[in-house]
Amino acid sequence: MTSIDTAPAIEHRHRTIAVLGNPNVGKTTLFNRIAGIRAKTANFPGTTQEARVAHITRKEHNATIESVLIDLPGIYSLNLDLSESRVCAQCLDGTAAPSGEQAHKPDALLVVLDATNLMRNLTIVAESIDKRLPTVVAVNMIDAARRRGIGIDARSLGEMLGCQVVVCSARTGEGIDELMLALRNARVPDRSAPTDQQGIERWSQDVYLNACAPLDTLDDDKLTDRLDRAFTHPILGICSFAIVMTGLFYVIFKLAAYPMDWIDMWFGSLGAWVGSLLPEGAIRDLLTDGVIAGVGGTVIFLPQICLLFFLLALLEATGYLARAAFVIDRLLRPFGLSGHAFVPLLSSHACAIPGIMATRAIPDRRDRLAAILVAPFMSCTARIPVYVLLTGILFPGKPSMQAIAFTGCYMLGAAGGLLSSLLARRTILRGKSRPMALELPSYRIPDLKSAILLTYDRGMVFLKKAGTLIVAISIVLWWLGAYPVLPRTGVQIEAQVRADATPEELEAGYAQMRVEQERQQAELDAQYPQLQAKNSYLGRIGSTVQPVFAPLGYNDQLTVGVLASFAAREVFVSTMAVQVAGNEDFEDETVLESIENATRDDGTPLFNAPTSWSLLVFYVFASLCLPTTVVTAKESGGWKWAFLQLGWMSFVAYAGALVAYNIAAMVGG
Amino acid sequence: MQTSTNNEQTESTRAQYAPASIPLTQLTRGQRATVNTSDLDEQDSKVLRAMGLRPDASVQMCRLGEPCIVSLSGACGGGCRIGLAKDIASRVMVTPQH
Repeated sequence: MTSIDTAPAIEHRHRTIAVLGNPNVGKTTLFNRIAGIRAKTANFPGTTQEARVAHITRKEHNATIESVLIDLPGIYSLNLDLSESRVCAQCLDGTAAPSGEQAHKPDALLVVLDATNLMRNLTIVAESIDKRLPTVVAVNMIDAARRRGIGIDARSLGEMLGCQVVVCSARTGEGIDELMLALRNARVPDRSAPTDQQGIERWSQDVYLNACAPLDTLDDDKLTDRLDRAFTHPILGICSFAIVMTGLFYVIFKLAAYPMDWIDMWFGSLGAWVGSLLPEGAIRDLLTDGVIAGVGGTVIFLPQICLLFFLLALLEATGYLARAAFVIDRLLRPFGLSGHAFVPLLSSHACAIPGIMATRAIPDRRDRLAAILVAPFMSCTARIPVYVLLTGILFPGKPSMQAIAFTGCYMLGAAGGLLSSLLARRTILRGKSRPMALELPSYRIPDLKSAILLTYDRGMVFLKKAGTLIVAISIVLWWLGAYPVLPRTGVQIEAQVRADATPEELEAGYAQMRVEQERQQAELDAQYPQLQAKNSYLGRIGSTVQPVFAPLGYNDQLTVGVLASFAAREVFVSTMAVQVAGNEDFEDETVLESIENATRDDGTPLFNAPTSWSLLVFYVFASLCLPTTVVTAKESGGWKWAFLQLGWMSFVAYAGALVAYNIAAMVGG
Repeated sequence: MQTSTNNEQTESTRAQYAPASIPLTQLTRGQRATVNTSDLDEQDSKVLRAMGLRPDASVQMCRLGEPCIVSLSGACGGGCRIGLAKDIASRVMVTPQH
């Protein structure tokens, strides 16, 4: 061991360690076990592929050694013509690195294998050996393998591979210390492996038979079998999918309500506190009505976004989502979308941009274009604030109805996307979609830590966006709404005095006049905010464009909200918050309450039922996101696709909202 | 070592009665078979092979229909399941085991 201890690898100041492995081998769990919260997610520039990167420092003999751990995307082979395989191969060759890192050959390679799937996993080991990098092989999930009676001889496996092999379990922590030590002392394998596919297959079989107790019997896993059949059943599968998704959103609604209330109250009192601290004037208004109202109206949705990602991560880790993919595949194919589109479309529920970029994994060009065109129909997290606001207004105090309406929005968006795809596949993108093959990972109890880390990452991304783009738009909107300042008019009343009036009568007349003047002044003051709002730049823009949206039931304020959303739809709620805050004394109310209770000029509620339904449908369908349009143009290879998407979605949104408004008005009235 | 003997046998069997292979979709539930070839395009067949559905791998049919689910337990030394769209499964040729 001493000779290995002095191996040159240890003298590097920055050691880069790449972590490679098949999908579903617990690679990320292992990575998180080693790296913890020090990791951040980074993209490979110019691709959709993400890696988690962690900088780890450790003291040794008075020297600080920094290691950079890179968790590469899970792949079956380095030699496949897939984006994730190419990225991994480039990273190992030192020609690509996650953004923020320098591209150079890794100093060590950690190959993670699934102990319960050893033979297949050996393919990537053979390909790794060929890279001639200092390599350590971690045989993960050894606890699960033992339970199934699979024995693995790490020593003989190491001898056959020519590098150090550590059996471990990322879940229980077994073997992790040994793995860390092995990584420090990693060396280039002193054996070689075949490079052609057939050779690798034969080699992996030989290695497997020598290092592992040969398991010739197929273990009949009755439970997995039953669950698989149930989850992929034509009817039961769809039912369970619907139940799982409704349950998911119900939990999100129930649980998120508490932190949302706290955040709402906190921003409400923060606004009041700042307001009481500063002297009246433009700066106070900018801070309370612009910044605090705008940020408060956005940050309030953080609990829901975090919960959504947390629960989706847990759900994915159980192994259920892979089964659901086939249920979805069956639903997608009649609409001319490939089952490969499931992941892009599912990601689009977070944000259409990574979703559209993820369509690169779809092999067929027409399949891919169809998926790009319809991806923005999927309800992204930016729509959540609007859905929450509107479903809250439509069903106050009824979380179950809110959950159903919420799920309904998601389904409506998906249905709009599917029908659009069908239309496209019948007209501009004729043809059928390609079939799908997918590994179905074992059912597992999900790893809480990994889910929490992912949630933290996504939440930070959202907060950064809220902290930059949304604050900027809020300030611009506040300015547009506050200027030009309408001069306050004073009331003058001509005293009508009879010539022969006694001094008492004169005194009484003046008193009456003063009362009348005060009353009229108060009336004017009360009208002032609305007059000011109408006179402002924002009000002028709103009333100019409002006739276009009048058939949908939107007044000037809502028109401004919708127009502001064309840059990014999540600003709708903050825009409404800023506008409403500018018009009314909202210091006693929380942000959401002040929006919900806002009134029109005639005193009727701003968000009446038909308007709320129409807005809800509008936001389900409308392509209100500038970056999505740009990414579509880039990914589809032409602006015509982007404009087609924008035009089509706007048309569907307008038509849908019109129908919704009229139906709701008929039913309600 | 047993498996490799099996493979040799399979190969010799294949040489003797070449057309003993049937599409994967024609297996019955629970039936085991050995993978032969597929007439998928190169990219698809490479992905399937990397996923473990390689020639001489033994599979067990778990679910027929859409999707078709096969268990690759013997081939990868544990429990590995692959779901295949019917269109793909029907183009993978296998030899039933008895």
